Amino acid sequence: MSCDDELTVKVDNLSFSYGAKRNLCARTLKGITIDAKKGQLIGIMGPNGCGKTTFMRCINKVLKPQEGAIYIDGKDLDRLKMMEVAKICANIPADVPDDFHLSVEEFVALGRYPFVTGIWWEGAKDEELVRDAMKAYHVTHLKDRKLGELSSGEKARVLLAKGAVQQPKILLADEPSAHLDLKFKLQVMQALKDLSRQGVTVITASHDINLIAKYADLVIIISEGGIVSYGPPAEVINEDIIRAVYGVEVSIIRDNGELYVIPLRPADPEKGDDEDTRPCEKGIVAD
Amino acid sequence: MEGTKASQAKIKIALIMGLGSLSIILLFILSLTTGVMDISFTEAMSGVWNLIQNGGAHQNNQELVLWYIRIPRALGVIGVGVGLSVAGAVMQALIRNPLVDPYITGVSSGAALGVTTAVLAGVTIAGLGIFVTPIMAFVGAVLAFMFTMLLAEAAGGRSISYVLGGVIVGIALQSGTTILMYFNADRLHSVLYWLFGSFSTLNWQSTTIIVLCVSVLSAIMLLYAKEFNVILLGDEQAQQLGMNVKRFKTGMFVMVSALTAVCVAFTGIIGFVGLIVPHLVRMLIGGDHRLLLPASMVVGANILLIADIVCKTAVAPSELPVGAIISIIGAPFFGYLMIRMGKEYVM
Repeated sequence: MSCDDELTVKVDNLSFSYGAKRNLCARTLKGITIDAKKGQLIGIMGPNGCGKTTFMRCINKVLKPQEGAIYIDGKDLDRLKMMEVAKICANIPADVPDDFHLSVEEFVALGRYPFVTGIWWEGAKDEELVRDAMKAYHVTHLKDRKLGELSSGEKARVLLAKGAVQQPKILLADEPSAHLDLKFKLQVMQALKDLSRQGVTVITASHDINLIAKYADLVIIISEGGIVSYGPPAEVINEDIIRAVYGVEVSIIRDNGELYVIPLRPADPEKGDDEDTRPCEKGIVAD
Repeated sequence: MEGTKASQAKIKIALIMGLGSLSIILLFILSLTTGVMDISFTEAMSGVWNLIQNGGAHQNNQELVLWYIRIPRALGVIGVGVGLSVAGAVMQALIRNPLVDPYITGVSSGAALGVTTAVLAGVTIAGLGIFVTPIMAFVGAVLAFMFTMLLAEAAGGRSISYVLGGVIVGIALQSGTTILMYFNADRLHSVLYWLFGSFSTLNWQSTTIIVLCVSVLSAIMLLYAKEFNVILLGDEQAQQLGMNVKRFKTGMFVMVSALTAVCVAFTGIIGFVGLIVPHLVRMLIGGDHRLLLPASMVVGANILLIADIVCKTAVAPSELPVGAIISIIGAPFFGYLMIRMGKEYVM
């Protein structure tokens, strides 16, 4: 299948800095270069404040990098309008707006926004896609429920349905399973995996090394704004790199090509002193 | 085939608008019957009919009262009800906080200070004539909105920041109004009466301005109902769905300030309408702005018409200030929302 080799995301020597005004946040990206192919699930790892979120924000044009170029679906991101980006690239937000009485169906339909041509209403095709997506993520029975009444697991499925209904070529998911219990974490990751098998390039950031190791085709490890390592999980994830990046001693069990990371203790405190580089992110409500 | 979601929604809108308009017409006629001069329901109806046929030429005293006092007032009440309700719904979407309205964010107080300045300090701008009042109200409203936003964003931009920021800005601006009044005690009466929030000063001139501005601005906002749904997701998410968030929000903030200003300019501060109406409508038909905005319009007009009728009849032949009456209902409602929502996420 030749189309498997199609590059959907190409990032070339990307550098980004928030500028002098916000240097307290100390979040910059330096010389990032990656190629992501159609249908790959790419996991981004790295400690808090390393630039994972910044990187994903560059890919969907929320932030404009100072240097380097990004190509999505073969097009120069710099030359695309936001509406054109929205037709290629979808994003799974961290949460739903739950105090405005929007129903699940209305919320999922918002994913069709870039494609709606009328002034007010979605077309019949849009509505069909919304119905299909709700069915695929098992939320059809919730369609008239208000977002505020959903459980965390239901919200996660609704968010996935909204992402899928956008029919993206690239799907970005920043910490999609952060607040979920084990079962839903696995369900969400499996859903992302299924989407990637349908040809969507999925880029997801997570702190759960085991989830990334289990599901990702490729892992990018970012530390202090630069790529430390890039490749298949089995090649990239090892004790040394985890110690260097996270400052944690781990034991890794390898079994049948799968690997399991067991955290042991913080590494030698002198080396990885806990300088707080956590981002002072704007607009993100405390969890 | 149960029909598409869109066609079901269209039927809903038609029903709401139809029933709402019918009740507006009934309340409109009822409102024409209240006042010092006795005019019965049928007399009011035939009077309106005659006036329409004769193009406003009145043939008796009843028609004179209807034409110069009661009809412009009732039309103005409808305009202000529509305007404040839409302004509230739009503000809640833009700030992504269901606890705000033009009054709570201090925008009404800003408009009020603008008008007080115009009236007391005698601001006259050559060639503007009667438009001085709404223009000064607009300037005050925009400035107040800017202050509130700067404060709230500096405090982290959370839901409650806008409520607190608005309260602070509101108090400051109201003090400004008080000081202006203190130094102009001789000309106080006209301003004071207006500040209470009252429809009694509405005439054809002010009503025409209100109805025109409210119609145009609400129509523009209705066109963007779909975008208000998207903006609920937050700036970044809306941007990622292809919206030009910055341009949209700036434009809407200016328009919502203008909408508030034109309502406040002639009838004074009527608080809480913009809070209560969208909330009631959301509870009844949900949060989709394509339903919420038109439904808020008709519900807002109905509620203010009822409030005005109560004000005119409760202590007849005297009259109660409508702003105070609405606030008596609005303050406990606001408290109720605060408790309910505070439990969910504010604390």
